[in-house]
Amino acid sequence: MSDDNQHGHEKGWADNPIFIRGFLGALIISAVAAAAAGFNPAWQNPHHHFTGEHMPGFFATLWRLATPVFFAIYGFAAFAFIVLAGQHLRKLVARKEDYYDERE
Amino acid sequence: MSASSFLGLLVNNPAVILMVGALMCIATPRHLASLIMLAATALSATKLYSMGLGEYGTIMVFGETLTTVRIDALSRLFVIVFHIAIALNIIYAWGGRDRAQNFATLGYPAAAVGGVLAGDYITLFIWWEIAAITSVFLVWAPGTRATYVAGMRYLAIQVLSGVLLLGGIVLIFRETGSLEFNLIGLRDADGAIKFSALVIFLAFGIKSAFPLLHNWVQDAYPKSTISGTIILSVFTTKLAVYSLARGFAGTTELIYIGAVMTIFPIFFALIENDLRKVLTYSINNQVGFMVVGIGIGTAGALNGAVGYAFCNIIFESLLFMSIGAAMFRTGTSKATELGGLYRTMPITMMFCLVGALSISAFPFFAGFVTKGLIVDGAAEAHMFWIWLTLLFASAGVLEHAGIKIPYFTFFAHDSGKRPKEAPLGMLIAMGISAVLSIGIGIYPEPLYALLPHQEQIADYKPYTAYHIIEQLQLLLWAVLAFAVLILIKWYPPEVPSVNLDTDWFYRVPGRGLVLWAAGASRATWNATWRVLSDQIQNVMGRIYAVHGPEGQLARSWPIGFMALWTSVVLALVLILSFLA
Repeated sequence: MSDDNQHGHEKGWADNPIFIRGFLGALIISAVAAAAAGFNPAWQNPHHHFTGEHMPGFFATLWRLATPVFFAIYGFAAFAFIVLAGQHLRKLVARKEDYYDERE
Repeated sequence: MSASSFLGLLVNNPAVILMVGALMCIATPRHLASLIMLAATALSATKLYSMGLGEYGTIMVFGETLTTVRIDALSRLFVIVFHIAIALNIIYAWGGRDRAQNFATLGYPAAAVGGVLAGDYITLFIWWEIAAITSVFLVWAPGTRATYVAGMRYLAIQVLSGVLLLGGIVLIFRETGSLEFNLIGLRDADGAIKFSALVIFLAFGIKSAFPLLHNWVQDAYPKSTISGTIILSVFTTKLAVYSLARGFAGTTELIYIGAVMTIFPIFFALIENDLRKVLTYSINNQVGFMVVGIGIGTAGALNGAVGYAFCNIIFESLLFMSIGAAMFRTGTSKATELGGLYRTMPITMMFCLVGALSISAFPFFAGFVTKGLIVDGAAEAHMFWIWLTLLFASAGVLEHAGIKIPYFTFFAHDSGKRPKEAPLGMLIAMGISAVLSIGIGIYPEPLYALLPHQEQIADYKPYTAYHIIEQLQLLLWAVLAFAVLILIKWYPPEVPSVNLDTDWFYRVPGRGLVLWAAGASRATWNATWRVLSDQIQNVMGRIYAVHGPEGQLARSWPIGFMALWTSVVLALVLILSFLA
């Protein structure tokens, strides 16, 4: 890391709290809007391929209720799972950077 | 065949035109190389355009008809995007002076173009091997010991794929009596796996980097030069995707293989520190989507698979190019050493974001208009778990290619580095890629017109309300998850490390085994030699005792010498008379 860099660590526009708050605000608003839009029947997929009718009773109800926001829930959960579970892969496969240098 | 018709055969093959251009780069002054390469690419593209759909360059070899150039809807789509990629790579690396690398910059894509255009197995095999051999120069280009060794490993695997292909071709020819490269299918009418098809399937599988056969990509590609990695990222795996689409469309096994391909690279990409290596995992993941589409094999899924290959080549290159530009200016592609570059490389950052939005398949970007075809294909085939897997993988793409790449390069913690903006050639290449990524996203019709199943695509509307809403829900809520994990500090920090993958097996225990075998055979040889030389020494000692200066028959040198030679000649005469 070049801490001795002559330009130093001045703040740029992306470090500005106003930008960060604005970005987060816009993200939250658009995410909520996308979820809300899922409840409009006119905007729903007219031929759903997976209606949940073969699922056991409780899950079928849950599936039906969640369908308008299914993609939102699934996107959030999948992303969180990938990051939270995936990092443990390091314990198994991570080695020092010169691992292969010593062996080749 | 007459000499003039053979010459005509060569001149009328776009791949040969490109290859001649590549060879000219070796012989002409270095500063003209980029110009020559671009001219050859333009000439080849013009040739393709003037030829139009059809079969050309048929020759008879040993009574078999070979079709050296076949342009149909499927091959046309791939050669068009290959030409776009070649041109962009030449512009990106404008002014490169390394002759070997310049040769490979054009010669390797030329082989890929030749392979896609091949109408028969023999032509395919020849270009398949040329692609392997020309591309290794890109791996070797940095000229270090590490790249030399990695290049040898890469070459071994590529040649293995070629050998398997040749074996499969021989078996198929024996069964069918035809060398025409068309649909093969893994199983026969009774549902049993055909051995010949399986061998070819494996050859294609190695090049398209099936799970467990994938690791040559991560081993070799990131070790190349900045522009070399970008060129490598395009052609080999996509030639394999084309070959699978041609030979194994609708092969159910591909659905599951592809699904695994979309998933496991996500986790390796998450923990990888070298951003170029992250993108090589992204190649595996992206090819996985295409392989699933090919496996489903319906008109829509096939359109999606090859259309996605077209778009992916453009936006994946764009991501490689932007990381390459950052590396060109800072000397590193490691997430731990980058960050905060948006201050001084804002244009590169914008282009990188376009690539990231495209690969994540945000609406109005190139990924969206083609990936949806594959995901819809799974849904229409009622493959619930495959459909769920593809959506999960889409969240994974967003994580490693959509967020990690731009975030850790241009934002995240400030590395304190303040490099200049990327050079003009790089900016132009990235700019064109970005314009294409957005252009295809907003106006996909020209791309759709190139897809092989026109009857299907005519009814497909990417921009329906539910397509947009579903995709935005998936992506925006995934980004929200990222924001939450960053804010509560649960997002794992980047750590400098090397992560073991399947290449470990042949780089450590495999190499150990080879070294042990070499040592063992050396020891055996030494021992055998010692025993033999002891005995020879013994015999010589005895001869010396009799014939030597101190010996009975050697009161003087010449007598001993003569006696020795007399006995040798006598022995020879004896043997000769026996033989006669």
